[in-house]
Amino acid sequence: MIILCVDMDAYFASVEQQANPGLRGKPVAVIGSGARTVITTRSYEARRYGVKTGMNIYEAKKLCPQLILVVGDNTKYTYTCQELTKVYRRFTPDMETYSIDEAFLDITTTHHLFGGPEAIGRAIKEEVTGRFGISCTIGIAPNILMAKLASDLAKPDGLQWIRPEERASVLEDLPVQELWGIGSKLADKLALMGIRTCGELGRTPVSLLRSRFGIIGEHLKAMGMGLCQRPVAAAEEDPKSIGHSITLPRNICEQEEIERQLLQLSEMVGKRARKGGFAGRKVSLTIRYPDFETFIKQATLHDYTNHTHEIYRTALSILADIKLKASLRLIGVCLSDLVSGYSQMPLFGEREKETALLSAVDAINDRFGDFKITWASYLEQEKGQRVISPAWRPSGVRNVKIR
Amino acid sequence: MRIGEAISVIASFGQPYRLRPLRFKWSGQLMDVKEITYAWETRDGQAKIYRFSVSSGDSLYELSFNADTLLWRLENLDAS
Repeated sequence: MIILCVDMDAYFASVEQQANPGLRGKPVAVIGSGARTVITTRSYEARRYGVKTGMNIYEAKKLCPQLILVVGDNTKYTYTCQELTKVYRRFTPDMETYSIDEAFLDITTTHHLFGGPEAIGRAIKEEVTGRFGISCTIGIAPNILMAKLASDLAKPDGLQWIRPEERASVLEDLPVQELWGIGSKLADKLALMGIRTCGELGRTPVSLLRSRFGIIGEHLKAMGMGLCQRPVAAAEEDPKSIGHSITLPRNICEQEEIERQLLQLSEMVGKRARKGGFAGRKVSLTIRYPDFETFIKQATLHDYTNHTHEIYRTALSILADIKLKASLRLIGVCLSDLVSGYSQMPLFGEREKETALLSAVDAINDRFGDFKITWASYLEQEKGQRVISPAWRPSGVRNVKIR
Repeated sequence: MRIGEAISVIASFGQPYRLRPLRFKWSGQLMDVKEITYAWETRDGQAKIYRFSVSSGDSLYELSFNADTLLWRLENLDAS
């Protein structure tokens, strides 16, 4: 098997540096437009000062006073990702957009048509740079795990091919946390067992790993040996849930304001479910307090739904059962226990009317733009999704339109 | 800086950009597009909006062309 991983270099920051020549070669951090934003990504120039993703602006500016903050324009990033997907599909139909800036291509059966894996890698790099003025790193290997590692090792603007026979030598002295899927907490637990490198992990008896980590013990040993069975997921699986959340510009405690936010979130969830032909039977409400304490409460409906008001009423009933201990920093609504291809015949007049109404509203908004017809109660507030979730995809039900 | 004003534009159709703004008039002044630094597309309902980040040499502008209404707009200005 030959897998190619394309990983864009400092994606959002590179796009902004390309769009604005005045930012090129300078430390740049892309931030959100909200009042409580953090660093979304940063240019390589900013990384040299220790600026990291997730830092707040104060921390970042302390490390790099000359840091230029740019409010990200998500429409540029989602469009570029969609166009890149078309480029990748020229080389193989077995392509998985793993995130907005990473993709895996299974080129096992197609690479000979294009002059081999490295030729494909070079062609993609040329297209990315020629068309968008940004760079990417390509990793090529016998599986996804090693392809991702190859791209991580070659960053930025590199191309590395780890052939099957090179696997052991690459992994022997590599710290375990360099592997995709092993974070610092897991690495600490492995270190307590005396396992620090991938070579050591691969030689550890599976019984020992299983007794310490349970079912993932075998998986960890395989990772240490550079083995991975996960195929490139070319076909997108149906979602298990459809949800939206919002970090509020200010903490809120007013019932009317909370209800307004819930209605908008319910509409976004319902609209996406209707568009994808999904309906769900469980509605969950997520709330986060200013101290970041977060909890989720769920209710189960008698029947499947994708109606905005049924989702909203359920979320409200969940809220009514909660004694809020403080104002809210974040609210989320999620629809789960989904079925696809949902088209239940409405039995009662009111429900039939509501289905027809929602269908008409969706059709008008699809034609003239989101929220052109909307609920009067949130006419004045900012509408729509502003943050690209990790689950965002260039097509399908996970293709959420981002402002 | 957000502008959001309708403008007049001289543009060409061809390659590498299917649509390429060459010159535009804003506040009575003619601006030559020296470089298209980024081009992308969005949708407003079914209308396709072509967006361009363009440099006049001194300043950076964001222009948009609505393929439904055939209107050009100056969306943003980033004066250096």
